[in-house]
Amino acid sequence: MPIGQRVAIIGGGHNALVTAFYLAKGGFKPLVLERRELVGGGAVTEEFYPGFRCSTLAHTAGPLRADVLRDMQPEKFGCEMLHADPRVFAPTPDGRALLFYDDHEKTAGGMARFSARDAGSYPKFAAALEKIAGVFAQIAAITPPGIDKPSPEDLWNLLKTGRGVRRLGKTGIFDLLRWGPMAAADFVAEFFETELVRAVIAARGIFGTALGPWSAGSTAVLLLRAAADAHPVGPASAPRGGMGTLTGALADAARKAGAEIRTGAEVRHIRVKDGAVSGVVLDDGEEIGIEAVVSGVDPKRTFFGLMDASQLDPTFATRIKNLRANGTVAKVNVALGGLPEFPALAAGIGADGFRRALSGRIHIGPDIDYLEKAFDASKYGEFSAAPYLDVTIPTLLDPFLAPEGKHVLSAYVQFAPFTLKKGTWEARQGELGRVVLQTLEEFAPGLGELVEGVQVITPQSLESEYGFTGGQIYHGELALDQLFTMRPVLDWARYLTPVRGLYLCGSGTHPGNGLTGASGANAAKEIIRDLR
Amino acid sequence: MAQHYDVIVIGGGHNGLVNAAYLAKAGKKVLVLERRHVLGGAAVTEEIIPGFLFSECSYVVSLLRPEIIRELDLPRHGLEILPLDGTFSPMPDGNHLWRMNDHAKSVREIRRHSRVDAEAYDEFSKMMTPMCRFVKPLLSMVPPDPTTLKLNDLKQLNFLLQRFRELSSDERYTLIQLMTMSAADFLDQWFETDVLKATMSASGIIGTFLGIRSPGTAYVLLHHYMGEIDGAFRSWGFSRGGTGAISNAIAGAARELGVEIRTKAPVAKIVVKNGRAAGVVLQSGEEIGATIVSSSVDPHLTFLKFLQASELPADFLEGVRRYKFRGSSGKVNLALDALPKFKAIPGEGAHLRGAISISPSMEYMERAYDDAKYGNYSRRPYIDMVIPSLTDPSVAPAGKHVMSCFVQYAPYKLAEGTWDQTREAFGDNVIDTLAEYAPNIKEIVVGRQILTPLDLEREFGLTQGNIFQGELSLEQLFFLRPVAGWAYYRTPVDGLYMCGSATHPGGGIMGANGRIASQVMLKDWGKVARKAKGNGGSDAKNFVSARNAGAGSGASASDISSQKASH
Repeated sequence: MPIGQRVAIIGGGHNALVTAFYLAKGGFKPLVLERRELVGGGAVTEEFYPGFRCSTLAHTAGPLRADVLRDMQPEKFGCEMLHADPRVFAPTPDGRALLFYDDHEKTAGGMARFSARDAGSYPKFAAALEKIAGVFAQIAAITPPGIDKPSPEDLWNLLKTGRGVRRLGKTGIFDLLRWGPMAAADFVAEFFETELVRAVIAARGIFGTALGPWSAGSTAVLLLRAAADAHPVGPASAPRGGMGTLTGALADAARKAGAEIRTGAEVRHIRVKDGAVSGVVLDDGEEIGIEAVVSGVDPKRTFFGLMDASQLDPTFATRIKNLRANGTVAKVNVALGGLPEFPALAAGIGADGFRRALSGRIHIGPDIDYLEKAFDASKYGEFSAAPYLDVTIPTLLDPFLAPEGKHVLSAYVQFAPFTLKKGTWEARQGELGRVVLQTLEEFAPGLGELVEGVQVITPQSLESEYGFTGGQIYHGELALDQLFTMRPVLDWARYLTPVRGLYLCGSGTHPGNGLTGASGANAAKEIIRDLR
Repeated sequence: MAQHYDVIVIGGGHNGLVNAAYLAKAGKKVLVLERRHVLGGAAVTEEIIPGFLFSECSYVVSLLRPEIIRELDLPRHGLEILPLDGTFSPMPDGNHLWRMNDHAKSVREIRRHSRVDAEAYDEFSKMMTPMCRFVKPLLSMVPPDPTTLKLNDLKQLNFLLQRFRELSSDERYTLIQLMTMSAADFLDQWFETDVLKATMSASGIIGTFLGIRSPGTAYVLLHHYMGEIDGAFRSWGFSRGGTGAISNAIAGAARELGVEIRTKAPVAKIVVKNGRAAGVVLQSGEEIGATIVSSSVDPHLTFLKFLQASELPADFLEGVRRYKFRGSSGKVNLALDALPKFKAIPGEGAHLRGAISISPSMEYMERAYDDAKYGNYSRRPYIDMVIPSLTDPSVAPAGKHVMSCFVQYAPYKLAEGTWDQTREAFGDNVIDTLAEYAPNIKEIVVGRQILTPLDLEREFGLTQGNIFQGELSLEQLFFLRPVAGWAYYRTPVDGLYMCGSATHPGGGIMGANGRIASQVMLKDWGKVARKAKGNGGSDAKNFVSARNAGAGSGASASDISSQKASH
């Protein structure tokens, strides 16, 4: 395909925008087709209640991979990142609390009040994680190798990764092999004795997945996340103005590089002729003849929703069908008349003040059993009665999201299965909202009286509104059997598909997982190579 | 020390006996020391109730390596495997699923539940065959060390990689899934019938503290599936005279080869002199010397009980302490004066001659696990039963029967109370569960033996009641079993080896561990014997030999890589 040709990109999520940017830089003319009126996919800012705006879905950044950040320079397009420190405030029901700062010694200082042993282990844990995360970061940066015919680049990448692994030393290599398949609960227990410490760190291995802390393999997810940010707990950064600012800036960067972006343009169908893409059909009937299409939407939707599946190779189709994409999260956004009080802060707070301590993420899930029980419910088609919550109050750092003096509370709720055994999500979404408020009330008494409005985004609306098949926010479960050369499926983990001219660039491809732009950037490289 | 042997094997379980037999076959003078009055470890038969012979712990056999049966000529020593035909899964609604060894019959039975599944079952069986073929050579090889760049280890790793590349794409796909997925997710892709998936997934959790939805259980499923396609005997079977008869046959072969076996000889400690194992001290105070001490008991007993912490490197000790046992099962052995009558298929019949599996649905299985996660025995447990007296009448008085019930989950650590207080309630709960499927059960039980995880630990020396001497979870398999860096049957103490289920390839009555370990010991023999010689004599000589041992241990570390896989 000659340079200068148009390439359609389905979906305007962050990975699609990253791919568009790099394709434009590579000399192609990308055309991004976004179904909704705004770009961003799962990273958007919306008014969810009159006068109150927030990042309706994702509320913290990945962060973006360093090379993507360097190339796209979102800060030049008005994206200012607000960085919260402490990253996490974790209260217990009996009024104690832990704060996780960027600085490990400072965190350990607070931890000492729970356990001197844990305080001593914490910096060691952070160091061990950093070491291993480096290898994972290396793996996340490469295209999974071909097994039958590894290219010279594959071999070079493997050699580089191999050298990175070898630098870990014997103990480090064995740790890497041992930890990957372990349950996060076991992993944290190797370092810590305090339940709260264990729960906060282990939670990173289960967020957004259909895994509990006792599920084997949850450590692999934790390490994968640490690859993007090698800190014991995930970052709590968000752009001023919400996630929409970030994706808006990415869109601007892509446009500036030469990409065209159309919103309100829903792709209905990908036309395939003789095993190759021939065009896309929009919702309004408009047909765009095109030789290459990149899908930023999830693999299931791409191959079963937007295509005639009978045109697919049957083995490939079976594998995509078997791709597990069972959503487990819901999102509840709350408009508050004032700032809630967390009595546990009195115990945990340092000299930094109340507001700063609350400005990161608030982790509700005080012990491993709590998290596991929350998970148990979802196995039987029920949402957790006492859910694990990942909460932010973005208005503390970014007051303009709400009317003056008022606040927004944004909560990821786990576990909420896509299919309920009893009743429908439509009928029960209010109930979920109440469960979340009740759970918060235990840690922040009086919060209920501040509530002015509640938005509940159920797993069903994640699919219908935002396009996440099965409500799976990562386009496919993050599990050992669906990572690296198996993401989305074996033999097709290199962003190419069996349909000539059709590519994938979303979170359903390696490495997937959160707002890092890694899938989009990796994909662009392979697509450009293939198209040339 | 009055007596001196070439090798002392601690523990007279099946792996210890296999290990001893092979060493004797190579001309070594071997002594086996068994703590109990009877041989076999967990592969043991005892008359607990007069007239009734119970295979107390392990109750079926399938994984016993054919090469061991052949090389030790076990049939001549009394081993006779009787076929165990099929798995019968009764359901609470009176329906059932009954899979038989006759594949065509099973397919017909499955068709009764689902036509799609009947077709898939064919394909599934076809796919599992190459999977087992891939894994099998791994069962008889010393795991390679993935951290070295030594030629031999690289060769072995490359051998695995090449074999993987020789698989077709579909086979690779399935193999990766088997190595990483949960049994439930894996089976969900193939089948729709709940009871079929539930019963099949049960093989994925046996002996582990994992649920059918826990990743890693698909591997355990494969581990158990392997028995079913073994060339020597195609199916699971009983050993005539109970499981203990297998141990006795191996012991018979061992004795014939010159092995000396002592029962009621509990070991108190392993003697370490100048950093190398020199023998053992029995609880009676008797001291016996040996060039090599081979421990078939688990790492907790071997390293934390029989050795002093000061005799081991700190990181190795940490690895041993971290090694997970987490017993999750119990055993209820019943003496019956009649046969149970199942609602699903009333009366006597072939369905009673195979395994009877209480695993009616995936949710049932998973909820059983949930109970255990929080420290309770399952209110409604998974039960795997056999009635060996139907196939082998010698184990019960005429007209009477023994029924062996493997019960999961029974966590070693209870949230409340002790197992001594809970034992009877646990047994009652099993009977109550059975009564839901076979209402006459309460009337026909004339005696019972209840083995909780605590009993398995106390009676049979299985730490925390883990029947595999340590969990078969991914992070404790292959080159990580039992301790990363020490998966080669050797230990940090020169002259001390491991040969039990806690080593690769894990548990089940395989005997592979004992056999591979004997090969490693024989390979090391020259060096170990040389160093052992230096160990005796005066203090001055000890000083010299200690230095030699120090120098030698460097050589032995480098030698880890030079093991040969039996491919």
